[in-house]
Amino acid sequence: MRIVQVKCPSCSSPIYSKQRDQLFYCEKCNVLHTRNGGVEKLDFEIAEFNRSLSGEKVYVPFWRLYCSFIIRSKSVEGGHVFRLMSWMKDEDGSGTLFIYIPAADFDPSAFKNLAIGYTVSSPKYGSRLDFGGARRMPAVMSREEAVELADFVVVTMEAEKPGVLQRLDYSLTVNSSKVVYLPFIMGQSGLKSAL
Amino acid sequence: MADISVGLNCPACGGAVSVVEGESTLLCPYCSSTLFIEGDQGVTTMAFKNRVNRESALKASRLWWSRGWKARDLKRVGRTTEVYPIYLPFWRAMTRVAGWICGYEIRRHTDSKGRVHEQKVPKEVMILNDYRFSEIATDPGDLGIRSLRNFAGETSFADFDMIPTFEATTSKDDALARARSDAQSRARSSAKVSRVTMERLHVLTRRLSMVYYPIWVVRYTYRDRMYMTTVDGVTGQVLSGRAPGDPLFQSLAITAGTSVGGLAAALGIIMSGIAAELMIVGLLAGGVILYITYRFFRHGSEIVEGEFKHKPASVSQTIKELQSAARTLQEAYR
Repeated sequence: MRIVQVKCPSCSSPIYSKQRDQLFYCEKCNVLHTRNGGVEKLDFEIAEFNRSLSGEKVYVPFWRLYCSFIIRSKSVEGGHVFRLMSWMKDEDGSGTLFIYIPAADFDPSAFKNLAIGYTVSSPKYGSRLDFGGARRMPAVMSREEAVELADFVVVTMEAEKPGVLQRLDYSLTVNSSKVVYLPFIMGQSGLKSAL
Repeated sequence: MADISVGLNCPACGGAVSVVEGESTLLCPYCSSTLFIEGDQGVTTMAFKNRVNRESALKASRLWWSRGWKARDLKRVGRTTEVYPIYLPFWRAMTRVAGWICGYEIRRHTDSKGRVHEQKVPKEVMILNDYRFSEIATDPGDLGIRSLRNFAGETSFADFDMIPTFEATTSKDDALARARSDAQSRARSSAKVSRVTMERLHVLTRRLSMVYYPIWVVRYTYRDRMYMTTVDGVTGQVLSGRAPGDPLFQSLAITAGTSVGGLAAALGIIMSGIAAELMIVGLLAGGVILYITYRFFRHGSEIVEGEFKHKPASVSQTIKELQSAARTLQEAYR
């Protein structure tokens, strides 16, 4: 086992932080990098806070995966509504969508709600260059794990529609990925979107 | 969850930092530097501190001798020949399974006219659970230890020079594959979907570490035969062991078992005048009792506890075997 000081791969400045995080952000040169399987700079976006909301500002990291899918066949007992239909481009059952996977540590229920909520309704936001002093929730999930979970999100979207899902034969390809920090307000009842 | 920690020094300021097992990053409490832990080929290695001494190991072993169906004079006649600690390597993995299992189950019910109806009940079950896995990373020989039971304790490599250490001989990839397979099968059984039409399960590896665990080996003789017990070097509990059985218990069991089994069968034959089914029930009950008695008598000369490769069947295992056979018969009958 070896322990090393984390430095920015761009400017070599040491990274100082108050929390353990899988994503390392350099405030000097605005570079985000990860070290899972080697040092790698990441493409990322920071969403602007809704200025009309007040409270403790928190940024939550998400993996935004741009995916294409092809549905070959499906079977639902007692239902037929098909959520993936809304992203279908062609009659051959293919389409594209953005899947949002929360990268922070959430309990299964919160994880599912955030992933499904933002995937079903893609967030609209203006972006900014830095975090503006707002707290960042640490990321605990790697991109590889997020890619694995993309399939889980798709099936969950379908399974939670009326009826009991019996079969969904489809393929899902992740074309690109990006880290997106979405703004939230920490309230007494938990996190609330601040878009 | 994070039970194990080990002390290291910050490369930036030299301050002492504590690394929680499985974590890849930490913060120096003195200079606030973010630190990254690079494990050996990506695997964090830990060693539990030995907290048991020779006397405690012996005491635990002797206490184990007096429990269960072991020879009643074992404590008086048994002679300890060796007591020594060793470090055994274990793979330890934490996995998360996320996915869905869809399918259906068939429910049968009988109406007032005695007709059996079948109902197909569709099911969709979401899986989102964490699973813990451990397995020994070397050939355990005759020690009867294959997995870790305790995951909490202080870690330290301080005892490594004094305690013989077994080298890991199994590969990380194989261990990881087994951990994933174990998590997947546990997720499947938790879903309880008997007839599966679709399964999409994803296993994420949260942590993989190599844990060196202290074990005390106590070898002893009883009437010129060699036996052993192993004692957990952290908790002080007996993990596995072999001990002589008691001939008196065996004799009593065979006498009582054959009598009760014979009586059950005879009762069934006598009651056949009332209903033919009673004879079948009686004969079956007698046969089951005789089988359990035979298994106990056959293997009762040695009491074995732990995860041995070739372990004689216990009474509970025999009952499980019978239950399984009954289920198979029931399915075949349907």
